Amino acid sequence: MSEMTGRSLQSDLPLLPTSVVGSYSVPEWLERLKTDFYLHRISPAHLNEIHDVAIKAAIKDQEQAGIDVVSDGELRRDNDIDYLLARIPGVSILNPAKSYYYDYFEAEVPEPLSSTREESSALGLVEDFVFTRSQTDRPIKFSFTGPFSLSRRIRSSAYNDHGDLVRSLAYALNVEARELVSAGATRLQIDEPFLAGYPDEVGLAIDAINIVTKGVDADWALHVCYGNRYARPSWEGHYDFLFPAVLDAEVGTLVLEFARKGYGDLSLFSRYSWERRLGLGVVDVKSEDVESTDLVAGRIRKALDVVPADRLIINPDCGLRHLPAAVARAKLRAMVAGAAALRRELTGSPVGQNTTWTEES
Amino acid sequence: MLVEVRPTKKLRGAKALDLTASLAPIVDVLCEDSLDLSRVRLVCDWVQYKNNFRDVIDVRPILSPPTNNGREGGAEENKLEIAVDLRRCDDAQLADKVRSVLAVRTDPNGLGRVYLEDWSTGTTSRIWEFNSLYWRFLGVWEKATGRLYEQALPGGESDARNIAGVHELIKEMFTVWDDLAAHNSLPDELYVIELGVGNGNQAKTWLDEFAKLDAERGTEYYRRLHYMMCDYSEHVLALARENVADHASHVSSFPLDATTPMTALGFLRYKVFLVYISNVYDNLPTEDVAQIGGHTYRAEVRAYLPKDVAATLAADFGIEPDSLVSAIDKLLSLGPELLVDALSGQFPDVARAAAFWIAVWDAVKIEERYAPMTGLDLYQIAPGVNGEMLRPLLERHGDVRMQVSNGAIASFVDTLPLLHPYGRLQCHDIFVTDPHQYRTGFLGPGKYDGSIVNWVNGPLLRHIGRRKGFDVSYAPFAHRTGTNIVTLTAQVRD
Repeated sequence: MSEMTGRSLQSDLPLLPTSVVGSYSVPEWLERLKTDFYLHRISPAHLNEIHDVAIKAAIKDQEQAGIDVVSDGELRRDNDIDYLLARIPGVSILNPAKSYYYDYFEAEVPEPLSSTREESSALGLVEDFVFTRSQTDRPIKFSFTGPFSLSRRIRSSAYNDHGDLVRSLAYALNVEARELVSAGATRLQIDEPFLAGYPDEVGLAIDAINIVTKGVDADWALHVCYGNRYARPSWEGHYDFLFPAVLDAEVGTLVLEFARKGYGDLSLFSRYSWERRLGLGVVDVKSEDVESTDLVAGRIRKALDVVPADRLIINPDCGLRHLPAAVARAKLRAMVAGAAALRRELTGSPVGQNTTWTEES
Repeated sequence: MLVEVRPTKKLRGAKALDLTASLAPIVDVLCEDSLDLSRVRLVCDWVQYKNNFRDVIDVRPILSPPTNNGREGGAEENKLEIAVDLRRCDDAQLADKVRSVLAVRTDPNGLGRVYLEDWSTGTTSRIWEFNSLYWRFLGVWEKATGRLYEQALPGGESDARNIAGVHELIKEMFTVWDDLAAHNSLPDELYVIELGVGNGNQAKTWLDEFAKLDAERGTEYYRRLHYMMCDYSEHVLALARENVADHASHVSSFPLDATTPMTALGFLRYKVFLVYISNVYDNLPTEDVAQIGGHTYRAEVRAYLPKDVAATLAADFGIEPDSLVSAIDKLLSLGPELLVDALSGQFPDVARAAAFWIAVWDAVKIEERYAPMTGLDLYQIAPGVNGEMLRPLLERHGDVRMQVSNGAIASFVDTLPLLHPYGRLQCHDIFVTDPHQYRTGFLGPGKYDGSIVNWVNGPLLRHIGRRKGFDVSYAPFAHRTGTNIVTLTAQVRD
């Protein structure tokens, strides 16, 4: 692991560790209650309590499924954008009302944002991390949407160069990342769900990611997919566009979508020298069909042709938010079983080299 | 007593309806009765379909909610909706008809109706078996009536054949493809699907124009084009294949239930650039929900034949009166051709069986009652879509009754996964576009030849589309005036 990609915590985990990308199944009743909040039918205090309960359940589901690195399911967040954008000083939410919680806010940046880390202030995600930390002994991944994708949902006439807006957002996220690490976060992930729609701008996105990660002593991951808005891909294509630019990203893990699209893009890891970790998508989050253990194992086996086992992390293609809870649980169980089967093949033991769950805090 | 008059436009103008004259005999009879009038709803429609399922006066019991111990509720005494078709209120026998339907409260069999089913949800009613029969044996129906099915459509032809509309659509698609091609993102195979292809006239128009416009541009998209024709009716699909024979190497055809396109087309998930549907949704099974006094009800239905009509039918076709329902069962399960084998004594040939079918269909009526719903989430609108989707419409618009358009919604939500991120669904049909229309108009069901027509719940489709990530817009059909046809367009939002 190079210094610039932060510390590696892989040794805490078994071979072929399993994780989630971030979001977890949002029950229909929770969607209704989140919408009720915007319709002023329930208070922020009640919604917060509801979120606490839902997050506890999401963590429990992941633990029971056997996931090695869990998340809070991003259940406090309406979607991948608003929770962050609404907290960034200088970003105006034009109409804070919604008829459906999942809708995006219309966000505007009328004046340039702080353009340095020193001038930016934290976004208050630490509280979310601390709550999650208090609910589980397992390693936690904490993810947030990256500056490039956040910028695509902002209207702004304050910048002649869109890149300046992206970089300003990156500074804000960098400050937040430092706060999170100070609070004990060790695994951070930047999600760029919009990047595949703007392949020509991958260089800008990577520059901004490096601003976010700079000086933050965490095990960083970057997740790039083809979108999961309403459980649909927002774009189609191949990961060719990421390379070689992504080689400059100061992250330790690249978390990619494969299960839905097929594994043809694995060849990119032969063509380019990516000597860091790959978060391999092995379950399709856009389909309610639950993968079999054998299918998952077969998918991992394919990846082993190009990435060594000690550099593979096993995860779903993307967040599980659109799947019914029972399906999400079943998919996670299949994923864990598939990883265990491969581990057994490789080491003779389903649990691999390390069974310690205790996370440093 | 609540009186709701929906066709308010009919109350003004040179040919204004005399509402007082229409309602007076009804109100007089109600006043003679022992009903608690404070719990009666008198709901007046103007049923514009000449062939329909309504009587001039219908009584609809409003059932009570289940009790706390979960037992079913019953029809509360005197809690009734009385439905009036104002179009037929100049009937001299109106008062007698009101008396006789009210008498059903104490003598359920007093009307002597011949029921074709027990109470059922709207979508599972036998009337949809007639609808299905029509499409399965369209050729028999057309031969018997001497009319082709397109002549039964509003305006006498499918709107999708309009060349100006076809040109516009193709050119917009070319623009999207050009852009994707510029970014090396255009797939090799370019898929277009038509659901409800009918006899293929519109597919032929579309393909002819596509090939011509593509040749003019020299983009060779036609070479990559796959046009998938889908229809429920094998009969019309065979005609369609003949019709597009010039494009045979670019066309595939699938017999398909429009409510479940993914069953046959799942391999095209996220690959289709255009799904094209014309005059299909209005013909798919639906049921009604109603908000009454702040409670939500599902309209349950029971198909029947009026006593006198049933007797005439039995006599005309040489069927024992007690065997009439059995003969209809056989018609619906076997179809008119095999009915000749099953009941050869009554039906010596297919023409006679078809005549029976037409006569029965013409006579079928529907009784209704309102059954309380115990939770919208427990109500399945369509696979994967529960009744919570109705909540905004029901909560925002007070007491209202509307079609759920279950079949249309099933088709819609099972079609959306086919669309490429830059794909589009375009549908020409009769859509309600403003919930207020439910307060002012009669929107079905009616009978179009041997099929059923209902206006489609556009606001609900728009809401569900939005929850699935699509913007759904409605516009009057742009290429012909004087039509009720509306164009729905669904495209990915955000």
